[in-house]
Amino acid sequence: MFCAPRSLTVVAKPTSLRAVTEFVREGAVEANLPDERVGELEVMVDELIMNVCNHAYPGDSMGHVTVTYSVPSPGELSVEVADQGVEFNPLEAKAPDLTLSIEARPIGGLGIHLVKTFAKSLAYRREEGWNRLTFGLSAGL
Amino acid sequence: MASQQNDKSSLSIQSTEISGWTVLAVSGRMDAENAPQLQEKCDELIAQGHTSLVIDLGGLTYISSMGLRTFLAVAKTLQGKGGTLRLCGLKGLVKQIFEITGLTQSFSIHETVESAVLEANV
Repeated sequence: MFCAPRSLTVVAKPTSLRAVTEFVREGAVEANLPDERVGELEVMVDELIMNVCNHAYPGDSMGHVTVTYSVPSPGELSVEVADQGVEFNPLEAKAPDLTLSIEARPIGGLGIHLVKTFAKSLAYRREEGWNRLTFGLSAGL
Repeated sequence: MASQQNDKSSLSIQSTEISGWTVLAVSGRMDAENAPQLQEKCDELIAQGHTSLVIDLGGLTYISSMGLRTFLAVAKTLQGKGGTLRLCGLKGLVKQIFEITGLTQSFSIHETVESAVLEANV
């Protein structure tokens, strides 16, 4: 392991987003990712955190989300977004129709599409009450 | 020139009038926390009768899907009122995200503010 995993746990709400972004940027530095990958990393984490905020803890329930990153080898970054909310696999979401006109387009549904596009690897598993979404990025394409 | 800025959210919106168009220059970052600022500004302008909008994204360095929602929502509102939304100045990550989501095909997108306001209505 080039870099031991580091974790940050925050309350699952949009105001936690900035802290998580700062945290994963440190991972990007450790993995020596180029600027364009860092932007993509921020988008992916943003979308996945908002996904947890919107789906994991319905109603007034409040929970946490834990973000863990590691650098398995130079130029490679692995990130896990985990929560203990209701079981939800965002990768099963129906792909948006990108050819629709503005009138016909739904307002949402683009976040997971961005994650799927940017991630070099992407996987979901439900494990002992946890939703665990893991993705990988590399310095190269 | 009217301006609206919030240092905490690092999103800046400045509005000007050019050739009958209301031009909003947006700079900084648009994520879940601050995207509603642009939505509110656009809603306010549309309510005042400003239905020809150009949004200049030249200063925008980051956008998430929550930001994209704002542009879709504003465009839908304007269409319902017979208005027009044009975007310009897309670059870097912001341009990449519009392309990946197919929104460069959906919106009227221009290189510059000048080309956006000068192009004849279609």
